[in-house]
Amino acid sequence: MGLRGHYRAEPTHEQGISFLVVCFGETRLALPAEGVRGVLTSGEAGVGDAIRAVGITYRHIDLAGLLSFPADFNASDTRVVLYSNGRSHAAVRVEQVFGLTEVEPTQCVPLPAHFRGDERSWFAGMFLHERGLALVVNPTWLLGEMAEVVSVASGGMSSQSAPQIVEGGGSC
Amino acid sequence: MLRASKQQEKSVVAKRSWNLLVFWVGGERFAARTDDIGGIAPWVNSIAVPSRTPFVQAMVRREKEVLPVYDLAARLNRSLLGDPLLCLVAKHVDGPMAICIDGDMPSLHTIEAGTLQFSTRTDIETIGSFNDGNGEIPVVAFQTLGGSTTRRPE
Repeated sequence: MGLRGHYRAEPTHEQGISFLVVCFGETRLALPAEGVRGVLTSGEAGVGDAIRAVGITYRHIDLAGLLSFPADFNASDTRVVLYSNGRSHAAVRVEQVFGLTEVEPTQCVPLPAHFRGDERSWFAGMFLHERGLALVVNPTWLLGEMAEVVSVASGGMSSQSAPQIVEGGGSC
Repeated sequence: MLRASKQQEKSVVAKRSWNLLVFWVGGERFAARTDDIGGIAPWVNSIAVPSRTPFVQAMVRREKEVLPVYDLAARLNRSLLGDPLLCLVAKHVDGPMAICIDGDMPSLHTIEAGTLQFSTRTDIETIGSFNDGNGEIPVVAFQTLGGSTTRRPE
């Protein structure tokens, strides 16, 4: 399965949700695949604050830094994931791309209530992934739209675009 | 009828005594009510979770069950001893959570409720302490350890 280049992930099953699973060390993060626009090698990504691809500018997001998570981007497995929701666009450097996976909505559950900090905004949920666990990154937070959503919501707009922080299974 | 039945007498005795599990963290003894413990098992590698919640920064997976890890040793500023280490499942009001404890096998103790003393410890939530003749042992309040988002059940 080639992950390089540009593609737009489409659901392969009516009820399944597709994720691109990436790794930071032993920790696996899952990006909702519908927002993945491409996966580049470090060489393809080049250097600079942003990546220009297919007429869209993807600004670099330091995901590891935002999560205060140690990361080693020197390995050859390092990739840059181009991510977009159509309004905001981000290039996210990851240590390794594990691959695409599809889970049933019911398999995606919220973080345990013991986690009470900012991580509830960072992660929309989690699911069992092979012998480990994948944390579902909240795309709204990743793309830097959390503040916008809060201000819009407080202004009386519909909550439809509010960050999907799940409080029950099946809403990743 | 003034005389209590044997069953009622047993019930009164049971309420007056507490079953405690005494375990070790970094060479120090702690206790917890057995009612607040879901089990003991060998420790398995935890999965780091980026988190800003103090002492809750990992999870352990046991088959299809995933438990948050409360790092009690870090909170107590102690280094765990023993190989293999043990996993104690605490019944917190927010749900079960895994706590890594020393490898020394925990032991069961029964104490009279009246012997439970007020604990002066301020570094951890306790429901008191007791003395087993070898020193004071704090009884950790697992249900509220580290605080909670849920109201404690009556």
